[in-house]
Amino acid sequence: MAQLLLFDISNGLITGAFYALMALGLSMILNLSGVINFAHGGFLTLGAYFAYVLQQKIGFFGALLIAPMITALLGLLVERVLIRPLYGRDPLYSLLLTFGLAFILVDGVRIIWGPGSPPYQVPEWLTSPLSSTYFFLTGYRVFMVVLVVTAVAALFYVLNYTKLGLRIRAGTKDLETLSTLGVNTRILRNLNFGLGIYLAGLAGALAAGFLGLSPALGTALLMPSFVAIIIGGLGSLLGTLLGGLLIGVAVGLTTVFYPAASEAVIYVMLGLVLVLRPRGLLGEEGRLH
Amino acid sequence: MSVNNGFKLPRRKLLQGGAVLAAAQIASPFVMTARAADTVKFGWDNPLTGVYAEPGKNELIGAQLAIAQINAKGGILGRQAELVVQDSTSGDAGVAVQVARKMIDQDKVNFLIGNVNSALAIGMAQVANEKSVLMMDPGGHSDTITGATCHWNVFRICNTTQTEANAIAPTLIKDYGKKWYYITPDYAFGHALEAGMIKACAALGGTRIGGDLTPLGTSDYSAYLIKAEAAKPDVLIFLTQGTDMINALKQAVQFGLDKKMHLAGAQQELEALEGLPPEARVGNWVMEWYYKQPNVPHVADFNKLIMAKSGKVPTARTWFGYAGIWSCALAANGAKSLDAVKMAKALQGMHLPPEIALCPDGAFFRAGQNQLIANLYVGKALHTGKDGPDDLFDVTDVVKGTAVAGTLAETGCKMTWPA
Repeated sequence: MAQLLLFDISNGLITGAFYALMALGLSMILNLSGVINFAHGGFLTLGAYFAYVLQQKIGFFGALLIAPMITALLGLLVERVLIRPLYGRDPLYSLLLTFGLAFILVDGVRIIWGPGSPPYQVPEWLTSPLSSTYFFLTGYRVFMVVLVVTAVAALFYVLNYTKLGLRIRAGTKDLETLSTLGVNTRILRNLNFGLGIYLAGLAGALAAGFLGLSPALGTALLMPSFVAIIIGGLGSLLGTLLGGLLIGVAVGLTTVFYPAASEAVIYVMLGLVLVLRPRGLLGEEGRLH
Repeated sequence: MSVNNGFKLPRRKLLQGGAVLAAAQIASPFVMTARAADTVKFGWDNPLTGVYAEPGKNELIGAQLAIAQINAKGGILGRQAELVVQDSTSGDAGVAVQVARKMIDQDKVNFLIGNVNSALAIGMAQVANEKSVLMMDPGGHSDTITGATCHWNVFRICNTTQTEANAIAPTLIKDYGKKWYYITPDYAFGHALEAGMIKACAALGGTRIGGDLTPLGTSDYSAYLIKAEAAKPDVLIFLTQGTDMINALKQAVQFGLDKKMHLAGAQQELEALEGLPPEARVGNWVMEWYYKQPNVPHVADFNKLIMAKSGKVPTARTWFGYAGIWSCALAANGAKSLDAVKMAKALQGMHLPPEIALCPDGAFFRAGQNQLIANLYVGKALHTGKDGPDDLFDVTDVVKGTAVAGTLAETGCKMTWPA
């Protein structure tokens, strides 16, 4: 039993790392632009399908590199054309817009690539388990965790040690003041949105090999990501990371003892956090308002 | 006050025009009704989106071919057949029931067709029964549809889950072992199929050593697979379908479970095998129809027509849709009426003609249950296509439906006909 628990906690951390990757992108967009991006799952799906198409032409690793970039470019365009006109208005407008956009993206994928699950091939040397005992640690899953850790480290580096990151962080605190100091906040929001969508595209390209392709791929991952943000605390990317990992472990452990509640457990956690610590684990006080 | 802009419309002309317009307004509903009455309508209430979008699409392709053939042969009772298509969703019974009511009340369909998801089919069957409309379930497998909750007007093409379980269980027990662990989708079909497998396995001395119910649309099966591995079964049974089947099986193979235990299941579909990477196409399964039947008349013709229409070989789902629509047409033409009771009576015991049955031992609707009894195809999934990229299943045994469908009494169907 102890081994089973250990396996499930480790497995939960792997799944959680994936939730965290998606949630970080969502969180960045929410923090700076105040946009609750319901289309994030749709962008993830697009990233997965871009990777699928590219993989046939430039191979697995090429696709993993290029697909998130194309998704991010699309994100930049969407922000410029659709989302920017809604800044300054009630957040409900952008929420409704991204909600509709999510349907368009998912149905677009369905129309272009069909409703089925085209097979996504990962390199053979990544598909087998690393050991017979720790069979759930496949090469691909370890590769995925390494890539997620690298991406998160790179993100934190960008945010903490570059001018762009400094401006994004400052904008998260007070966008108006930043604007009066001469920073072009339009471009800043655009780049920040693109960076968030890049993370969604990367999560999608990874998910294609991890969970398989389907038009609803991103939709299924969206809610756990939102919950990760709220549990971790609005405004805190570190909190989002922690929230994602916690959700992964909670789902894994619930599956051992009471599988029927494996979906419900994340919402129970959400409820508990909202009641006991509304600002989330690492969130800033008052951010929720 | 008058406005003179140089254009003069005589009062009499204006009145005449108004009268014609008014008459058109009053008459148009009748014109519409007359036009509607010209066609015999099939209400297609089946998934176009979600987990079951792919099987739903293939059933639709088969149905569309059947409609075209029926119309080319003079239609139904001299009237053209028409397919009214609406998405039922893959998992929302509320939507499927609402669509069924709308199709019957507003579109005035003569037949209700659906649903891939058994839970949705059960909901639709209640509506069809309440409204006395003949319903054909092409691909929802839950036993109760033609079992404990059977209705005089609800017919089914695909098999019951118990039939599928009875077809595959002997091979699995004989060749791989008696301790089975189940990964089962948590809805009507999954529950029924697992119950059927447990019964079939127990009858041969096998046991269920564990299992998990997984929510429909689960994408990550890793936690369930870790539990399954810890239980050390002889056979890990996958009862998931659609994209759930693909995800579960793919992850099991990635974890190397295919080298630790035998992976198998009851129902397998070509749609799922096509969605799997080659290394994950493993295990023993039962298919309800397979396109490669070189010695069965008319199958090659059917394959050609479907290939021309969709660019892909037909799957069992394509045949379900095709046989479902044709069965309705044969019922109407046989009864010489579109009255649901007369058509339902015409279908009792009806044998489908070979060009519709498309299986070696023929297919017939068992009287008193409304269940089509046809062949089943037991075999193994193939990593790569044997004769072409779509030939992903090696049929090792063609089972007669009559041998595995059980008796009428065992189905629990007690049919009550309207007075």
